[in-house]
Amino acid sequence: MAFERRKILLVPLDPVHDIGLKMIRRGLEQAGHQTLLLPPDLPPEEIVSIMGKEHPDHVMISRTLGYGVGEVLGRFVDLADAAGLRDKTTLVVGGMAVRPELAAELGFDAGFGPGTSVEEVVAFVEGRPYQPDLAGAKKQKKDITAGYAYDFRHGAIGNLLEKIVTDILTWDEGKISPGILRSRLRDESWDVESFRQGKVSREFSEAYAQLCDPVPQAFHRKGEVHPKTRRQTDQEIARLEDYLTKTKSRMSVSKVQHVEGQPKVFIQYGTGCPFMDIAHIKVCEAWGADGVVHFDPSWGARTEGFIGGFLTHQEDGSVITPENLSWIKAALEPSTLWQVRAHRGLNTAETVVLAGKLGADLTKINIAYGSLAAGTDPARLTVDGIEAIRMAVKYKLPFDVVTNEELAGVPAHKAFAGMLIVTALGRRLGARPILQPLFSYSPEVMIGGQMIDNYIDFNAAKIEALRSIIDAPLWPGAPIGFLTQTEDRVQSSMTTSLHAALAAALRVDAISIASSDEAYSGGPIIAASRVDTLQAVAEGFRFFGEGRIAPTSHAQRWADEMVDKIEAVLKEVAQAPSFVEALYAGLLGSKEEGAYPGRGGRGTVTEK
Amino acid sequence: MVAQGVLSRIMDALDLETFLVCSSEEEGKELAIRLMKSLGFQDVDLVFIRFGGPGARIRVRAYIYRPGQDYAWVRQIDDGEKRG
Repeated sequence: MAFERRKILLVPLDPVHDIGLKMIRRGLEQAGHQTLLLPPDLPPEEIVSIMGKEHPDHVMISRTLGYGVGEVLGRFVDLADAAGLRDKTTLVVGGMAVRPELAAELGFDAGFGPGTSVEEVVAFVEGRPYQPDLAGAKKQKKDITAGYAYDFRHGAIGNLLEKIVTDILTWDEGKISPGILRSRLRDESWDVESFRQGKVSREFSEAYAQLCDPVPQAFHRKGEVHPKTRRQTDQEIARLEDYLTKTKSRMSVSKVQHVEGQPKVFIQYGTGCPFMDIAHIKVCEAWGADGVVHFDPSWGARTEGFIGGFLTHQEDGSVITPENLSWIKAALEPSTLWQVRAHRGLNTAETVVLAGKLGADLTKINIAYGSLAAGTDPARLTVDGIEAIRMAVKYKLPFDVVTNEELAGVPAHKAFAGMLIVTALGRRLGARPILQPLFSYSPEVMIGGQMIDNYIDFNAAKIEALRSIIDAPLWPGAPIGFLTQTEDRVQSSMTTSLHAALAAALRVDAISIASSDEAYSGGPIIAASRVDTLQAVAEGFRFFGEGRIAPTSHAQRWADEMVDKIEAVLKEVAQAPSFVEALYAGLLGSKEEGAYPGRGGRGTVTEK
Repeated sequence: MVAQGVLSRIMDALDLETFLVCSSEEEGKELAIRLMKSLGFQDVDLVFIRFGGPGARIRVRAYIYRPGQDYAWVRQIDDGEKRG
C-alpha cells in the first residue's frame, strides 16, 4: 500500500495540558505526516474556523480535565457539523478524561483513553490495524549465576570456610538417612516420562513406601491422601485445562525492569490450591514477574516422603506432589524462572530430584537455617543437605541459600556465617549457590537501632559485607522489606517498591517480593494484591533507572563490623568438634537469639 | 437516590478494587460497571483498568454524594452528638 501523507490538526481543548498532543505530533511527523498544533484552550468556534481554512484529514482534540468535558466537546462537534466539515475530516478525541463510549456518544469518529500509545494513534491515522510491539516485551530466562567465579575475596574467611567444608565432608562420610535413600530411589527408579503417561511401577511404590512415614505409606500402598487434603476431581482438572488453554492463548508477558541489569523479580505462591496458584502465576507473569517460588506446607517438611495426586487444601502452602508440580510447570510461560524450595525439612534431597526431573530452574538449600529455625535436626539436615547439593549439581539447579533465621532473632553476621558455609560447601561440590541476605526490619535491628533513621544503611551494609567476602550472585529476600509492611496496601506496596529500588541501586541479581497482603494474616493472598506490588516495583525501577541511592557513612562501618564478626564466628565453628556440634552449641544462632536446633528426623542418621 | 444506613456515612464515594477474570479490556469494563450496578449503585464509573492475559485489575467507583448534594452524614453526626 502506497504511503499517503496526512494532514492532522492537533487541538488541546484544555486550559493547559497539551503534552500528550506534542508527543503525538512528534510521532506523526516522524512517520512523515503534516501536523498543525494549535495553542491551548481556543474556543470551539475558532477551532472550527481554522478547520475551514486548513482542510485537515483528521482533527485530534485532547481534553485532560474531566469536569464539564461532555458539554465542551459536544458543542465543538455540533459546530463542526453545522459548518459542513464532517465529510472530509475525521474528528478524534483523546485524553485522560476520555472513554471510547463517551467519544461515540458525543459524535466523534474515535476516542482514545488513558494509556494510548503514540504508535496506536499513528496506526489510526494511516488506517491500519495497530500491532502492539510484542517484541519489546519478549523475555528470556536468565541464569542468575552467570558471570560469577565464586572466588573468595577475603583470604582469611576463605581459608576458614575451606577448612570447615573439608571437616563437614569428612564428618559426612559413610552416613545415610531415609531422605537420602528416597532421593536416590527417586533419582534412579522414577521415570518422569512414564509418570506423565500415568505409569508408576509397583516396585517403585513399594520400595518408596518402606522409606516413608505412615501418611505417605498409606498413599503409596492404598492410594489414600493426606487427611488435610482432597483430590481435584476429573471435572475440575478438565476445567483447569480449558482455563489454562484460553488464558495462555492471550498471554503476553511484561517487564518490570526499566533498564538492563535491574534485578529479576520473583513472587512466591502457595495458596494451598495449585489451581489458584496457577491463576495467580498467570496474573503475575502478565504483570512482569520473572520468576515464581513454590511454597509448600510446613507439615510437608516434617513428614518422611511425598504423597501424590492433584491435591488441594485450605491451608498455607501448596502440597508438593509430582502431579501438582507438573501442572504448575505446564502453566508457566517459557520465560518464567521456577524455583521449588528444598531447604528445610526431611525431604530436602528428594525435593531437589523431583524439581530437577520436573523442569525447575532453581531450588533452595540451607542447612543452618533448616536446622536452627525450621525444625529439622542439625545432623539429619547436614547429611541430607550435602546430598541435596550433589543432586542440585546433577540436575544443574542453582540454589539460593536463605537466611530467614534472622527473623527468629539471629543476628545477620551469624546467619551469614551459616549461609557462607553452605555456599562454600556448594562451591566445593561444583554447585552454583546464590546468597540470599534478608532485606528486613529484623529483631536484631529493632533492638540494636540500626534502622532508626532509615532502611537503607543496614541493608546496604549486608550487600557490601558479602561482596567483600565472595564473588557470588545475590538475591535479597524473602520477601524484601519483611516486617516493614502493614495491612494498608499503599504503604505495603510503597515499602516493597522502595526496597526493590534499593536492591536495584545495589545492583543485586534478583529479589523476591511480597504482595500488598504481606502483613494480613486473616486469609490467603489475593490476585489484586499481587498486582499492586508488581506495579509498585515497576514504578520504583522506572523512577531510579540507572540512578543510585547513597547510604550514609554508617553503612560502610556496619559492613566492616559485619565482616569482622563473620570471621570471628567462622573461627569458632572451625574450632568446634564438628559443624553439627557447632549448630547444636548455638555458634550460628543460639537459643537466646531465637534459634533452636530442630528435632525433626533426630536419630535417623545411620552409618552405611 | 438518597443514601441510607451505613452507605449514608460514606463521605463521598465507594471504590471497589479487584481482579476480574475476562478476555479483553472491553469485557473487563463492562463487567466492572455491571458488578456495581448489580450491587444497587447507579452513579458508577470505572476509575482504573489494566488488562493482561488472565484478566483485568480494576478500580470501580460508586458516588454516594456528588459535591453540592445533601450529605446525610452531616445530620447523622449532629443527631449522634445530640443523643450523646
